[in-house]
Amino acid sequence: MAGTMTGGNGVSQNRSDKKDSLGAWVKSGAPWVWLNAAAVSVSLLLVIGLITLIAARGMGHFWPTAVYELVYQDQQGQRIHLAGQISQIEKVSAKRLLESGIPVAEGVETVKRILLKIGNRELGGEDFRWILEPGILQQTRPLSIAVLEREEWGTFIGRVIGLKQEGQLLESRDVWGDFQLRIERAADLRVQIKKLEKGDIAAVNYRIEKLRLRERRLQLDGVNETAPYEELNKRREELQAQYQHLEDQLTELSKTIRRDSVIMQTSDREEVELPLYSVIDAWQPNSMSGLERMKHYFQKVWAFVTEDPREANTEGGIYPAIFGTVLMVLLMTVVVTPFGVIAGVYLKEYARQGLLTRIIRIAVNNLAGVPSIVYGGFGLGFFVYTLGGSIDQLFFEEALPSPTFGTGGLFWASITMALLTLPVVIVSTEEGLARIPRSIREGSLALGATQWETLWRTIIPMASPGIMTGLILAVARAAGEVAPLMLVGVVKLAPSLPLDGNFPYFHPERKFMHLGFHIYDVGFQSPNVEAARPLVYATALLLIIVILLLNMVAIHIRNNLREKYRGL
Amino acid sequence: MNRPTQLQFDDQQAAALPVTVIGDDPVSVEVEDLNLFYDDVQALKNIKLKIAEKQVTAFIGPSGCGKSTLLRCFNRMNDLIESCRTQGRILMNGQNILAKNIDVAELRRQVGMVFQKPNPFPKSVYENVAYGLRIQGVSKRRILDETVEWALKASALWDEVKDRLGESAFGLSGGQQQRLVIARAIAVQPQVILLDEPCSALDPISTLKVEELINELKEQYTIIIVTHNMQQAARVSDKTAFMYLGELIEYGETDQVFTNPQVKQTEDYITGRYG
Repeated sequence: MAGTMTGGNGVSQNRSDKKDSLGAWVKSGAPWVWLNAAAVSVSLLLVIGLITLIAARGMGHFWPTAVYELVYQDQQGQRIHLAGQISQIEKVSAKRLLESGIPVAEGVETVKRILLKIGNRELGGEDFRWILEPGILQQTRPLSIAVLEREEWGTFIGRVIGLKQEGQLLESRDVWGDFQLRIERAADLRVQIKKLEKGDIAAVNYRIEKLRLRERRLQLDGVNETAPYEELNKRREELQAQYQHLEDQLTELSKTIRRDSVIMQTSDREEVELPLYSVIDAWQPNSMSGLERMKHYFQKVWAFVTEDPREANTEGGIYPAIFGTVLMVLLMTVVVTPFGVIAGVYLKEYARQGLLTRIIRIAVNNLAGVPSIVYGGFGLGFFVYTLGGSIDQLFFEEALPSPTFGTGGLFWASITMALLTLPVVIVSTEEGLARIPRSIREGSLALGATQWETLWRTIIPMASPGIMTGLILAVARAAGEVAPLMLVGVVKLAPSLPLDGNFPYFHPERKFMHLGFHIYDVGFQSPNVEAARPLVYATALLLIIVILLLNMVAIHIRNNLREKYRGL
Repeated sequence: MNRPTQLQFDDQQAAALPVTVIGDDPVSVEVEDLNLFYDDVQALKNIKLKIAEKQVTAFIGPSGCGKSTLLRCFNRMNDLIESCRTQGRILMNGQNILAKNIDVAELRRQVGMVFQKPNPFPKSVYENVAYGLRIQGVSKRRILDETVEWALKASALWDEVKDRLGESAFGLSGGQQQRLVIARAIAVQPQVILLDEPCSALDPISTLKVEELINELKEQYTIIIVTHNMQQAARVSDKTAFMYLGELIEYGETDQVFTNPQVKQTEDYITGRYG
């Protein structure tokens, strides 16, 4: 969570001014209480405000808002027909408009300016347009107007007027109904194609690549007999035959999916034929009932959470980013926990408490303050290039020059994050250990337990809630960190997840996607910032939710541990 | 019970004279010329003492007199304090337990200890009692079950906890916790049990129960108890040692120390004139 509760600073008390009523009031401590309450309120307001803003901006995006059809007179006095969804309304001072050469009626102070999402990027070149309220001559909300979500070119707004199958216009009494049916058909086919591409074909490719690496290995080992090479060749041919077969299937499917097209009419009565396979969803927001809108809304939210991104991340879902974030954090936890706990236990329990321990402790605390990008640089220089490079030389020579571990990846990112969060875990482990009463140690030692047995059987279990607190902080920090990840393995679009069906199933060397980086990428690196902006908020909200969930799991575990060792 | 040899004391003699005589009782632990230092501060001075086997020996004296420190020498608990040094010998079964080569963990299995405040582990009643056995590597369920039952019965707790062995030991009352800790100590069958003000955190009824328990336990164990409460020392102990400023002032049969103290300081303390 962002925003921490901080208490205000102390109120100086004027002891010499006892008789004064103000002095008495100060002395009563009331201002101090007020100051505390104010500090808490401000923090609370900030947190609530932050989450509300992000939630409203992000989650509002999925609501099927009404489409207005307008007759609009632009600044040149031309009448045009527009259709679109209101995306933003703001007030502009008349002065500013006049300065930019737009005529404004006398006596008008401010003018409403509306940002309209008009879609149809392939026609007009832009899918958003600012219009001025006074220019609107006529405004309707026609029931038949439809919004189309497409695989490319963003949304399309217009009326469905006809369907074509293999180039032939269809006779249809219920064009909208038939359109929906055909979208479903295309969706089914799309799923099949995706399954084929990402599943079977990817698996065959993966195996062919493995064979290539094995052949390279043989060459590197200087094997001269022909038998092993022939064996590999035979298997490659089998795989290639399989691949050919799958490729044919794919071609067949892509031909089938291209059967239909839809004829759309834009608001300015232009007719456009769109290939139906690229239409993902179509809805008529003006004719939807409240319930239908809700249903649509939750479908879109679900799709956002479970689907892959499309169109340079500006459309589609963020599933790989969620997956990558969670996996990276889990892997980091697995690395940092034993490491940090062991270091903390040594510092607190075994190390002689002297100058050296004190210096180490100060160093560890300061490590927590090192900017994260520095860790990123270290991760890149040491883990990726030095360690990863050596691993590649030793174990993955056959894949060179393309690096396996010698490039950023999930594993290195997790280890870098583990390093970054290590101080937190060490410090909280030490604090947890310090909280265990002496009497418990003595009780265990008095029964003939060695220090080691005392630690493992009693002290560490009892300190585990404290250690968990450290982990909670570590998880929160690691999940929210972006800068170092950019250097050690996060990418804009990862071709495959680090977990898949290909042996050995877990591929820690792969690059991955991350919610934090996704926010940066969508918000600042995307070609269509206006369209992507709501996704930035939605992704931010999701990042917060993911961190919240991870934290809640950790807090739940901690509370269970606390309950177990309650009374101390 | 044999009367100890009566010796004549006067105040001046008190510090110099050996006060270690306990008659003909078999000796369990023998302290020889024990000196103990915290850095440069001497906390125990020339202690000579024989602890009688299967009897209760009480250490009394004002706060800071070194009685707890002396008690903690018997199981080398003072090892935990870095600044602590000892000189002299404590003999147990013919071995000097203060020697460097002593296996301290093994020693502590022989010499159990119960502390001022009940300190059960955050485990179930059963696991608390079984703790010492598990440390020793006992994992057979049958042996554990038997020992736990025996120890709880021996510490007069069985009837109160037999239905809640699996529940947290923190759910027990203070008095029950203290008896649980005693059960935990005797479960490993030590020779000697050290009790460091075992009743100071307990209410009168729980105190009574623990005292009854001490009476029963001395059938089998040598018990050394440190107490602030002189009535308690008079009630439960066979022998009493009075300490003052790190020195052993008087040591003898409890009846004799309380009714006819040989040293004036002892009399002053017992009658409440100082301390």
